[in-house]
Amino acid sequence: MSRAYYCTVKELNERGKDNIPDQFKSNMHLIYSSPATLAFNSPGAEGFGVKRAGLAVPDSIMLIVAPGCCGRNTSLISSMREYDNRFFYLMMDETDIVTGRHLKKIPKAVVEICEGLEKKPSVVMICITCVDALLGTDMERVCRKAEEKVGLPVRPCYMYALTREGRKPPMVHVRQSLYSLLEPAKKKGNVVNLLGFFSPLVDDCELYELLHGAGIKTIHEISRCRDFEEYKTMSEANFNLVLHQESRFAAEDFNDRLNIPFIELRRLYQTDKIQNQYQALASVLGVKFDTEEYRRTAEQAVEDFRKVCPDASFAVGECMNGDPFELALALLKYGFKVPEIYGTITVENFVYMKQLALLSPDTRVFSNMEPTMIYYDPAQSGVNITIGKDALYYHQDCPGLMWNQDEQPYGFAGVRRLFEALKGCVE
Amino acid sequence: MRGLRKYLTPFAPDQSGAVSVLFELGGIVVICDAGGCTGNVCGFDEPRWFEQKSAIFSAGLRDMDAILGRDDRLVAKLEDAAQKVDATFAAVIGTPVPAVIATDYLALKRMTERKINIPVLTVDTDGMELYDKGEEKAFLELFKTFAVRKYPVDEKRVGILGMTPQDVSDLAAADKIRDLFRQKQDMQAVCYCMGDGLEEVKKASSVSKNIVVSPAAIATAQYLEKIFGTPYEIAYPLVEELLPEMDYTNKKILVVHQQVIADSVCRELQNRGAESVQTAGWFMMKKELLKAGDIALRDEDDYIELVRSGDFDIIFADECMKQMTADFDGMFVNMRHFAVSGKLIGR
Repeated sequence: MSRAYYCTVKELNERGKDNIPDQFKSNMHLIYSSPATLAFNSPGAEGFGVKRAGLAVPDSIMLIVAPGCCGRNTSLISSMREYDNRFFYLMMDETDIVTGRHLKKIPKAVVEICEGLEKKPSVVMICITCVDALLGTDMERVCRKAEEKVGLPVRPCYMYALTREGRKPPMVHVRQSLYSLLEPAKKKGNVVNLLGFFSPLVDDCELYELLHGAGIKTIHEISRCRDFEEYKTMSEANFNLVLHQESRFAAEDFNDRLNIPFIELRRLYQTDKIQNQYQALASVLGVKFDTEEYRRTAEQAVEDFRKVCPDASFAVGECMNGDPFELALALLKYGFKVPEIYGTITVENFVYMKQLALLSPDTRVFSNMEPTMIYYDPAQSGVNITIGKDALYYHQDCPGLMWNQDEQPYGFAGVRRLFEALKGCVE
Repeated sequence: MRGLRKYLTPFAPDQSGAVSVLFELGGIVVICDAGGCTGNVCGFDEPRWFEQKSAIFSAGLRDMDAILGRDDRLVAKLEDAAQKVDATFAAVIGTPVPAVIATDYLALKRMTERKINIPVLTVDTDGMELYDKGEEKAFLELFKTFAVRKYPVDEKRVGILGMTPQDVSDLAAADKIRDLFRQKQDMQAVCYCMGDGLEEVKKASSVSKNIVVSPAAIATAQYLEKIFGTPYEIAYPLVEELLPEMDYTNKKILVVHQQVIADSVCRELQNRGAESVQTAGWFMMKKELLKAGDIALRDEDDYIELVRSGDFDIIFADECMKQMTADFDGMFVNMRHFAVSGKLIGR
């Protein structure tokens, strides 16, 4: 009987990061698509893909210039109220591909769309896809033409799935595009930008209080900008905090173009590491952060969960707000079991493999995208609770959390909220 | 402007139509894309995907695969999957990327068949045509590949050709049709590609006639008639349930749907006393059903102009089209078309 392929963390650790099995490399096999992994395999299909992310600039609209198939599932997003009347399409046909005539239509289409809108948009994002990647379209030039015609900023937005594993994947590129509208401005020492997410951190995240306590008056997040004018003030920031690695290029752009340096932080679920990270940040800023109370509250939430679910045995997936290997390590360090992880192994998360192997060598790691995942059977897993949309899909009879909400869990607040939610789902 | 959409999202593309035909048949279905097209098919255009496991894969093409035309890599991946997954056939479905690099599907088929011991189907969809075009190609490829043997004809069996969620917008439609034929005609209805598997496709020559419920299946019905002598009719058996009970006498009505359903609705409305029924469609208009005055819609402006100039009392169309003519003051009846809105009847 066929079964889903897996490796234990011990095996993976012994093999090392330069000898990861082909089953974990997405370019070595066909990619299995299950409801569990839809957002991961096709970043535009759910959550914040390029299309939704591209509209993070307040009052912006998007024209998707592509074959019909690329825009088809946009109605999932456009049915959300905040995207009402913000997506438009210019559909390409075979003649367009052969002659490139669609490029001439873009400025006219932009003008026609803008003339029909009650309120002028702040920016028009032109989203192009794999076809134009192969045609080598110079969309910057086309956007400049459109700008001349419509008198508004027009920016390209590249939804090139073909380059997903390249140096600058679509989700990295779109972050750069979003901030490319900012112009140099006079710096204010008490302003900071949080880069990384397209939706805000949880309101009770201690990072806000810590920064305010360090003398920061204004903390910008693109998703909290009420209008385009507020968005533009992001260029006044003294420094940027990069909370997601895909924003690194955007942060480098800030540094090069606007002379705003950046500090990179990680989303973690290990309270000791979160504290270390905050202390490191405090020393860079030349201040002191008192994080004891935040840490205590987070660890209390862990204990409160343990009271209701002392024998928790987790399956941790990758379709959630966190790194599955880091979260699995945190759960093990808190004294829980983690028999299974569904994840994509990268150089960045392989660093957790050594410690995972020490704490739980038999933890099985499955490759979500490998063809044999069609045969995944939860029967003998020993899992009784799950985190992640994928894990929840594989263990439909277990309590679990999707933990993939738009509002971003971060820091001690993220840990506290996670365990509060876990407690809620088993009670 | 031609091709510009301000109200409607693009309709289901040809690759979604092709997958819709093959989805339930137990094959390895490989969408020859970088990932986005598979996400669109699975996450949006194939409602059955959320309810049943299926071996749908993305080829996971990357820029260098396309630039260098590395078909051998795809063949190797398919060979690997065929060893791991129990499947009765493999199908490769085209998307814009292979269309741009002019992938030779026939060569791909031959290369793959040399490596794996199951039949290989290829469908040269390109993501720029509409779903019905992809369905038409997939239906033909499917029946040409598997319906090769002549079986004795069973007068109590009727084939239903063209059933896909894209066309009938109702996952229960196949069961309803089976019940209808069993109760009213004491016949067994075989709903190809929706409920009845590959074995029934192989025995296609055994049905006494085919009922074609979608224009995309007309070519296949004609093929089966030519090869096996199976006659066919074009009609949608569940048309009555699409029409709400009301007085249609002397009403001027517009019907917008795929051509077979629109035609069946048109005839039913005429029987119920409608003064005139105008049919229009965004999709293929086959000459077998085409009547004088039928309108093929291409852009949003075509529809807006038709409604504004038509003076209709009632419009039968998918609800998502309502927003295009907010000033229409007649009655709008929501007649779901999954390929248009991505929504099923009653959901």
